[in-house]
Amino acid sequence: MSLPPAIVNLSVATQTGRHVRLWLPIFLLWPLVLILGLIGLAFAVVADAVLALLGRRFHHCTLVLIRALAALGAARGTAINVSTQTSAVAVTVE
Amino acid sequence: MSDDRTRILSLLAAGKISADEAERLLDALETQKSAGAASGASAIKGDPEPLITALPKYLYVKVAAVNGDNVDVKIPIALVRSGLKLTSLIPPQAMDQISASMAQHGMSVDFTNLKPADIDELITNLREMEVNVDSQNGDKVRVFCA
Repeated sequence: MSLPPAIVNLSVATQTGRHVRLWLPIFLLWPLVLILGLIGLAFAVVADAVLALLGRRFHHCTLVLIRALAALGAARGTAINVSTQTSAVAVTVE
Repeated sequence: MSDDRTRILSLLAAGKISADEAERLLDALETQKSAGAASGASAIKGDPEPLITALPKYLYVKVAAVNGDNVDVKIPIALVRSGLKLTSLIPPQAMDQISASMAQHGMSVDFTNLKPADIDELITNLREMEVNVDSQNGDKVRVFCA
């Protein structure tokens, strides 16, 4: 599993000459995500145990949470550029 | 023409590598040749197969409209893989609804049969995928992995 994205760059340029660049340090949210992830993981383990005891077919909440976090980490490197005749927007996840 | 260049062009002609991969290989060949021209040795040492069969890292979607609008999206293959793995964990009840809804819109894809081995095979084969759409009005859409 790779590290989650650390920075999101957002750039918006318009025909009028306005150019906005945002550098979002989302690595500051890592501790919060870690805490929420651990709490969610505890709930997911309990939920899976209950679902398994009840004989339900689906009891993979823990796996879903882990893979969702892995997907979050895999988002690093995503880049989206949209440009029209009047404006341009670029988003990069690093 | 050198043996290496001939091999790369043969692989391209046989459809085993894409034009982009061939270009990268030829660039690497030129770089290595210029660096080691004096030695006279082959630019690609050993079997180039690992280089050729390397998994793609990104999925690119490029849309170029005639009116000047452009969309350029680069998605890490790791994200595609993670997404597919998540798909295989969707609860059966929700999956039934998704499948029914997709069937209504003409897409009868059954994700319940998607196994991890299938996902790996799918990702491996993505390197050979290339979609090029040229519309009548000149709009172009290109989807490929590199």
